[in-house]
Formats: sequence, C-alpha cells, structure tokens
Amino acid sequence: MVKRYRNFKELGDTVVLYPDDYINDIEGEKLEDLCASYLDRGFRKIVVDFSETELINSIGVSILIGVIEKVRERDANIYFSGLKRVNYDIFSIVGLTKHIRIFETEEDALGSGSKPVGQAVL
Amino acid sequence: MTETELSLERLLFNLNTLAELGEEITSPKDFTRVVKSSLYMVMGSFSSSRGAIFQHENGSGSYVPIASKGLGDIGGLKLKLNDEAVSELLKRREPVDLSSGGAGLLGAARETLEKIDARVLACLTVKDELLGLIAINGKFSGEPFTVYDFQLLSVMSQHISFSLHSHSLLMKLMHKYTENKNLYENLRRIYYDTIHAFAAAIDAKDSYTRGHSHRVSAYSAALAREMGWSNDEVEGIRIAGLLHDIGKITVDKTIINKASPLTSYECRELNSHPVIGYEILSKIKFPWKGIPMMTRNHHEKVDGTGYPDRLRKSEIPIGARIMALVDAFDAMTTDRPYRPRLSFREAICEVRDNWNRQFDPEVVHPFISVIRKEVRRETDNPTIVPLLQEEIDGASLNRLLDGFPRA
Ligand SMILES: [Fe+2]
Repeated sequence: MVKRYRNFKELGDTVVLYPDDYINDIEGEKLEDLCASYLDRGFRKIVVDFSETELINSIGVSILIGVIEKVRERDANIYFSGLKRVNYDIFSIVGLTKHIRIFETEEDALGSGSKPVGQAVL
Repeated sequence: MTETELSLERLLFNLNTLAELGEEITSPKDFTRVVKSSLYMVMGSFSSSRGAIFQHENGSGSYVPIASKGLGDIGGLKLKLNDEAVSELLKRREPVDLSSGGAGLLGAARETLEKIDARVLACLTVKDELLGLIAINGKFSGEPFTVYDFQLLSVMSQHISFSLHSHSLLMKLMHKYTENKNLYENLRRIYYDTIHAFAAAIDAKDSYTRGHSHRVSAYSAALAREMGWSNDEVEGIRIAGLLHDIGKITVDKTIINKASPLTSYECRELNSHPVIGYEILSKIKFPWKGIPMMTRNHHEKVDGTGYPDRLRKSEIPIGARIMALVDAFDAMTTDRPYRPRLSFREAICEVRDNWNRQFDPEVVHPFISVIRKEVRRETDNPTIVPLLQEEIDGASLNRLLDGFPRA
C-alpha cells in the first residue's frame, strides 16, 4: 500500500515526492499539504515522480492542479516524471501536458535546468 | 494520440468519472465527504483550479458553500438570489456561462461570483426546486468550455442533485421512497445513454459492423433472460454486450476494415482486443458483476482453441459463452469486408457444425428456443428475429431445427 519509506527525497533545494499507487480520493490531498510544507521550508524545485502510481482519476487531477497552483503562487518550479501511459493520457485529456514539464524519468527531471512553471513544452 | 482517439479516451475518462460519481453518491460515506469528492470530480473533469458547491439555506433566500477548493476560507460567503433569478435559473436548466453575459440575471450574486472567479454556474435541481449551485472557474488549460463540456457538467449536476436531495430528505426524516426511486431511474437512464453513446463510437470505427454492439447486447440479454437470469444479471450482460469490443479502439482502423486475409502481425493486433477491453473495463467500477471477464473471454471456444486464455467449456464464464455465440451469429448474419452475409439457414447450419467445438450446447439450446418462440409469436417483445434481415417462417424453421442434436 503506502510506501512511507520512499515518500520523499530531499536534494539541496529540490524535493522529489512519490505519491501513492492510486490518487483517486480526497485522501490524496495530503500530497498538496506535503508540497506546501516543502515550499514553506524554502524548497524551490519540486519533482513529483509517478512511477509507482497506477491510476489517477478526476479527483486526482483536481488535487494535482491544486499542487501546481501552490507552486506557481510561490514562483517555484514543478516537474512531473515517470508517468504511466494511462496517466499521461488522462493529463493530456484535461490539458495538463501543455502546462507542465513532464520527463521520462526522475533523473531527467532532476537534471533539467530550472524553467518557470507554466512554460509550455509544445 | 489522434483527434478521434483523444475524444474516445476523453469519453472513457468521463464515463469512468460518472460511474465513480454514481458510486460516491450512493455510498454510505458522510455527506460532507461525498459533496467534497463530487466537487473534486467536477473540477478534475474540467481542469478547474477554483470551485465551490453551494446549498440552499432553509428560511433564507441564500445559498451557502458546503464544499470548496482553491478558494481558501469562504465560510462567510453567501449567494443571495431573488425569486426572479431562481425561476430564471430553473427555466434554463443548462449550466450558465458567466463570461458571455449569462450573469445578467443574477443580481447581487453576480459580484460574489466574480469575487471567487467563477466562470460557469450549474444548477442543482430536483423537480422545480433549486437545491444548490456549482460554481467553477475557467479551465487550467485556458481552453474554452465546449457544448460537450456543458452537457457533461449538466449530467454530473443531476447526479449531485440526487445526493443533495437525498440528504435533505434524510435530514427532515422524510422517506419519500417512491419519489427517490423515480429519481434514481432517471440516473440510470443517464448512465445508459452515456454507454450507448460509447458503443456507437466503437461501432463507428468499423464500417461493416454498424449496430453490432447493440445487436450483441440485445441478443445476449434475450438469451440470458431465456436462461432464467435475474433482471440485474440481464442488465449486466446487456451492458457487457454494448462494450465487448471496446478494445478495438486501439486497433488500427485499416486492420478492422481489411477485406483480404490478415498478416500474422495484423491478426495479433486484432486478437488483442479482448485483453485490451478487459484492461480498460476492469478499471471501471460497474454496478454489475462480470463485465470485464465477459469482455475478455468472448472469443473463447468450448474446445479450448479460442483466445486469449484458451479456456475450455466450463472454465469460460457463462456470460462469455453467451456472448461468443451471439457475437459469431451476428457476424455471420451481417455483411463483412471479406464476404456478404450468410442466410439465416446457413448461419444456423454453421452453429450446428460447430456445436460443442466453438459453441456451448448449454447456450445454443436456449438460443434456438428463443428464436422458435419469437417466430411463433409466443413472446411479447421479440428481439432477435426482427433484427435479422430476412423473413423466417415457422415451417422452414422446424425443418431446419429438426436436424439439431439434442442436449
Ligand atoms: Fe470481439
């Protein structure tokens, strides 16, 4: 179920967050809170790695939009990585893929230069 | 993803959300949580970052927030609507686009809605009562709301209205069972309409099988009923019939419509559709049992030479055995890219020749008896015979069926 031991990883001012295998109910909102607390502590770059996430539904989408908004408010950067095909498709249906940088792997996301959120990769 | 595939994916995503919403509102979870989840589902569907659900406050003309997201603390906020505005909203029924002058009728509430950056307002109504409102901001993607979006929002609002209504009934300790039941009937119809729209989208991919999913659905239900299945089980196989070829949405159109024999690669592609269908459908929480497995195993044969699991007779779910027969029967009795349709006589001979090899006698017998009853006009609403493209008379049917092995 929840993999507490690899919930997050801190690297300088960057943190990698690993959400649960399902982001499909309002419990998922703890991701938003976690994100906010890292921003409060001065972290500037947030990578959300979805390689353990099987399924994101409409509730999950709404939570992730909340996460992105929080990061935008603070002028920090957010990147997604490790998306399974089905989840990538859902992101593209709701138009998220145009508004956030998505990388194949966590390593790719970590290696990327910091570009402001919302800079679309079209 | 191509345009059509994107819209099929979108339809599936929305269908799944509707199913989850249906499950959510009938769940025994506490009301606050149900409303919050419902709001998140709406917002996720339209990628909104700010939104709220308002409920009518008894004794005042105001609507107060009962769930919100992205708006911070809006506890003190109230939407004041006068009678005129309420009756205007009730008349419209459709969600209101606040950015295109639709807000004119709202009076003082308009300013409040502007404060929370609302772009679209949907009414939560039951009969002629405005129980509440959903307000959401524009899409995160910046794309405009389409006619389809408004329709989807309207359907979602009806679901949520039901929940609000049940809750207020419960609060008042008024158990109007019959009314509630009718409301739920409406919901069920919405659910069916959505699935029907989806079945049409599957069939549209194959120029030869227009209506195939609908016929497989109708035939399966008629046969299941003949076999003594309960109403609920019959509804389940009816839905499975509509969706059984859903896996074809990922198969290239040129393969599906090819007139010449398929290469082994093309064959593998086409034959992957039951497994893909299973993977898609097993993620949806249907109110009926067995739909994903019926889809997965509708190309199995009782002698174990079918696909994808090469199951034998009783290992194949009974629903899948029913669908295997009616699917093949419909394929035989309609034109295909590679051959014209067989006559009813030829199709029945084909079924007889593959008796106990491809088809299960336990299913073939009741199938024959439904057709016999329909030809003799012994059933009130015949399903199979009217959909066949030829007249069948009782005498020639008897001659044809005489040669059939007994169970
Ligand atoms: Fe099929």
